[in-house]
Amino acid sequence: MKPKPQPELVIDGYPKRRPRWAELATSADHKDLGRILICGALGFLFIAIVEMLLIRLQLAIPENSFLSPVTFNRMLSTYGATAIFLFAIPLVLGFFYYVAPLQIGARGTALPRLGQIGVALFVMGATALYAAFLFTPSEAGVNPLAPLSEVAFLSNNGVDAWAAATGLATLGFVLIAIDLLTTLRRMRAPGMAWRRLPVFAWGATVSCWLLLVIGPVLLAALTMLMIDRNFDGVFFADGSGGAPLLWQHLSWIFYTGTYMLVLLFAFGAIAEIVSAFSGRALLNRSVTMGSMVVIAVVGTLAWMQNMLTAPIGIGWMYFAMLMSLALIVPIGLIVFNLISTMIGGALQVRAPLLFAAGAISAISVGLGAEMTHSMVAVSWQLKNTTDATAATHFALIGGAVFGGFAALHYWFPKMTGRTMGESMARISFWTMIAGILLAFVPLFLAGSTENQVIDAYKFFGGTGVSTYNLIASIGALVLGIGIVLTLANAIGSRVNGPEAGHDPWGGDSLEWFALSPPDPHNFDVLPDVRSTRPMRDIRDSIAHRTERSEQPARESQPVA
Amino acid sequence: MAPHSPGTDQIDTLLWIGFVAATIVVVAINVGLIYAIRRFRAARGAEPRPAGDNRRLQFRVGGALTVFAALLFILSVVYTNKARETPSTGDAGLAAAKSEPLTIKATGQQWLWRYDYPNGSFSYYKLVVPVDTAVKLELVSTDVVHTWTVPDLAGKRDAVPGKVNDVVFLARDEGTYAGDSATLSGQAYAAMRTEVEVVSADEYEAFVKQQKSDIEAAQERVVGLIESGDTP
Repeated sequence: MKPKPQPELVIDGYPKRRPRWAELATSADHKDLGRILICGALGFLFIAIVEMLLIRLQLAIPENSFLSPVTFNRMLSTYGATAIFLFAIPLVLGFFYYVAPLQIGARGTALPRLGQIGVALFVMGATALYAAFLFTPSEAGVNPLAPLSEVAFLSNNGVDAWAAATGLATLGFVLIAIDLLTTLRRMRAPGMAWRRLPVFAWGATVSCWLLLVIGPVLLAALTMLMIDRNFDGVFFADGSGGAPLLWQHLSWIFYTGTYMLVLLFAFGAIAEIVSAFSGRALLNRSVTMGSMVVIAVVGTLAWMQNMLTAPIGIGWMYFAMLMSLALIVPIGLIVFNLISTMIGGALQVRAPLLFAAGAISAISVGLGAEMTHSMVAVSWQLKNTTDATAATHFALIGGAVFGGFAALHYWFPKMTGRTMGESMARISFWTMIAGILLAFVPLFLAGSTENQVIDAYKFFGGTGVSTYNLIASIGALVLGIGIVLTLANAIGSRVNGPEAGHDPWGGDSLEWFALSPPDPHNFDVLPDVRSTRPMRDIRDSIAHRTERSEQPARESQPVA
Repeated sequence: MAPHSPGTDQIDTLLWIGFVAATIVVVAINVGLIYAIRRFRAARGAEPRPAGDNRRLQFRVGGALTVFAALLFILSVVYTNKARETPSTGDAGLAAAKSEPLTIKATGQQWLWRYDYPNGSFSYYKLVVPVDTAVKLELVSTDVVHTWTVPDLAGKRDAVPGKVNDVVFLARDEGTYAGDSATLSGQAYAAMRTEVEVVSADEYEAFVKQQKSDIEAAQERVVGLIESGDTP
């Protein structure tokens, strides 16, 4: 462990006047807020797993009556909202919000109070979603398509609670994005030009722009839904001049954009990890950064890929397919660059790299299947079958869970000063790999060969899908166990993990220049950034100055 | 799925093309990944090679990916257009549907499918169509969004309130084909299934005639009961 650098001015040593939870709850520091988002997201990941297991338990055997249809629909709706709005997006934003300001050498964020309100809104949204269990949660599904979500068909307050919850959370995400974007534009360290931005911070920039576009779209749709439900509006009501398809367009813009958000996060984090653990800079950085922009724009423009069976013109269907298939180029280039950085490197196969590789692998399966789904006639056959469920889950579990866990293992030492248990990480990783394959490969088969439909509270015996569903349910349990192992590992390692030091992995970006955990003001001194690998420059110049060039930091690490 | 119509033949072909393409992508990425992790470990003495941007290779990879995407796009458009073609009624088909397809209205309603035949008769749950005959289903909904899907005969389509969506298919073989609804429509969604019975043209004619007279008889009986004051 390195000696702690002497700060120029000691302001952090004074005892806190308030208890720690009060400090955390009232803090506007991006690291505290980021930690709240990440911890909240991981907590909701656990809840989402419980909900997924209840759903899979119901679908383990044909015509099961474990959950009533209404309970099943409520579980499904809550699972969807939890996984997307309370797990995936806050996890992604939490890491961006924690790490990106450190990576650009900022001492805080530009509009901290805005970020604080954002996190508060996320907490309120989460509370609203689960408070609905006091009366009736939504029964309208993962994406509550109008007019099922209208008051004429679901007159209880479930959909209102869903709309309030997702609306509050989304507003919070947009505010956090504004804060982070302002920070990224205005508070970069001297010399940190856009082209020198770490890929993860660049991913944060693109993602925040994306959120500024898609967030308000969903908020507009939710507002219309609320007016429809509570003030006799007719935005989505057929027969009074309303358009049920309008909801589909608006909501799918948001959901498709969110999909891209998760991919951008995963690729950004994987790029940092691959570069750090192969001991060399990412190949073709500029192409990777450009590809991220293309993914955000083109990917979101493909929203009608979800509407290929709706009454829209064939020209629009081909437009959606063109956008989806065009994604092959930027995503292919990024994956190519990630793998070719590893080829020719000297890999330290530690937990972050393992999870990063798992993320690439799972995303490749998910996106390969999504590619097939974007072909119009194929979608006519496979849309809304369990094949689509499996594709989406492979890609999003790959991006948000495997990618998220890679990021967690990578930045955990920075956040806590301790490393997460390595052997536990390995057990968890291989359990998760077995789980995701067991849980979703059978669903691919059930969807593509037997056309089992999604979201149904039961399936019938004799349709050839019973075995698939039983295996999928067992697989979901295995996947859940694997995920819980990592969550337990994180909780345990927070106090008991081995001390990590400030720069455990030999990463290239500036967050490793800060202490672990960083002081509230992040940096005592800011370096002049002269290259895309500022931390390596610092390490080199320290080694040069102390004429002790024989031991680069990485070789002192235990090698797996 | 086992295709039993010209349209699903095309869809099936495209599905296989997509499956092969996806398999190529998945295998290429995962083999590269596993090779990289197994081969280039620092523990096995690998030294990091200096990283340099390789513009030419990048252009080549980008070009190859573009060609791949363009190929998939073109194939998809070709096969999708073939799958959309209105088939022409064959010799064994219904004579009345030679010039234009037999049009049947399919209404999705929570949680049943209703089929209205051209002669004014209707049926619930089960659709009866003549074999070797071009059939056009006009999908409408009276309440929420439903998706009509009978995978062996045609691609799925949404029934959206206020809109009419068409499905055209020609059933090649007689038999019974199971179908579902594929969009969450409320409590009994999973039980909202359907069935298409493909029969010979004569049997179809007989069925709709019988159905019409049955319905009329039932209506007359109800009217009679109301007039005689026997209603419960």
